[in-house]
Amino acid sequence: MTDRFLYDPKREALSAAKAKALEALLIKKGVITSETVTKVIDFFKTKMGPFNGAKLVARAWKDPAFKKRLLKNANSAIAEMDFPPVMSGAEGEHVRVAENTSSVHNLIICTLCSCYPWTLLGLPPYWFKDPVFRARAAREPRKVLKEFGFDLDDSVEIRVWDSSAQIRWFVLPEQPKGSEGMSEADLAEIVTPEAMMGVARVELSPASRGYDPKAQGF
Amino acid sequence: MKLQHDLGGLENLETLETLEKRVFVQPWEKIIFAVHVAMMGLSKHLGVTKVPTTFRDEWTWADLRKGAEAMHPFDYFKYRYYEKWLGGISGFFVSKGYVSAAELEAKTKEYLSNPDTPLPQGGNRAIDDQVIHYLETGDSPKRDVKMAPKFKLGDTVTVKDVPPADHTRLPGHLRGKTGVIETVYDGVYTYFCSTGPDGLGKPMPVYCVRFDPKDIWDKSVTEKGMYFYADLFEVYLSSHAVKG
Repeated sequence: MTDRFLYDPKREALSAAKAKALEALLIKKGVITSETVTKVIDFFKTKMGPFNGAKLVARAWKDPAFKKRLLKNANSAIAEMDFPPVMSGAEGEHVRVAENTSSVHNLIICTLCSCYPWTLLGLPPYWFKDPVFRARAAREPRKVLKEFGFDLDDSVEIRVWDSSAQIRWFVLPEQPKGSEGMSEADLAEIVTPEAMMGVARVELSPASRGYDPKAQGF
Repeated sequence: MKLQHDLGGLENLETLETLEKRVFVQPWEKIIFAVHVAMMGLSKHLGVTKVPTTFRDEWTWADLRKGAEAMHPFDYFKYRYYEKWLGGISGFFVSKGYVSAAELEAKTKEYLSNPDTPLPQGGNRAIDDQVIHYLETGDSPKRDVKMAPKFKLGDTVTVKDVPPADHTRLPGHLRGKTGVIETVYDGVYTYFCSTGPDGLGKPMPVYCVRFDPKDIWDKSVTEKGMYFYADLFEVYLSSHAVKG
């Protein structure tokens, strides 16, 4: 019988030791420094995360002219506002925004790997990279959304965007009813990464607000 | 074709009731992720010659993807996302002679028995500055080359069944299927490397193509009121129907 499907009982401890061993050797050989890993991880905690996308969504909800430009050419719309330049950095050089409305719902996926707009959403969560999600969302997105607790009315068209080339996709969610009087900063606090990928709605009173790197495993 | 190229629409899979919202599920995954980012930021193709790193190779998404696509397909599905990265990236450093297999094994044993042994300290901070600079500015594949796109908005196109290669950006479920050009992207786009008979590498137009799911899968397994969109390089598209 094949042993292909057996895992080493020390699976995680071995990977942890191997990753640290590689890091130690690369530092010793002058490929990276002893600070590289910390600096990269801190960058994703503070500069390149879903808080960027949330700010963009809040601005689009507050400023219809900006929203129009954002849908037409996301990178130039971002560049002309007071957003950090990093929002057109690595894995966000060419972004397209798909807008959810009362008649159209959008979902972003990557069937080949894990393409994701880093500049606006940070790094993809495990479920997005899960082969089961990648396979099923392509063909039966309504069922998948329902399993995630998102019941989409049959009358709403669903569009699935597979990031197979050089464009990174981003979903502009619908503004929740009752949030019209909220400030732009408050609106940004209620926008979740799941809403900007199309697997959740933005809730007026979400269970938690803002960005918590710990909840993402940082 | 490789199984990992053909995931879209696979049947008989389980339901997804819980979302693993974490990016990293083990602390060591952060190390291998950051090493990959550093390699991309120090890659030779960026032309950064003055950075005091001993890294002297090209490393892009294509290299990481090639590694995952070269795996035995059952291993691909057996191992978690960053486990594949750890295998691919450590294998690269060994094959290129940066570290020897014996060295890596000995060091791994050391950390396995004493996980808290501190890392060596030091290094020139200009290396880290370049890595962060890469993250801030990116590595755009768009090229300033004049080239007239073969297809226009609304054209019906058929996806070619290009020969198998080590690496592709053509999702398997679209091979031989027919769709309509939804967007002709502005400009032309290169790819990190040549994908050989698959056809990528030189700058070319890229399109967003809309597919009716009934033209991809049998209608008994598709959903109503849905469209599938994919961004496809021009070399993958034909104006003629592809035979069988």
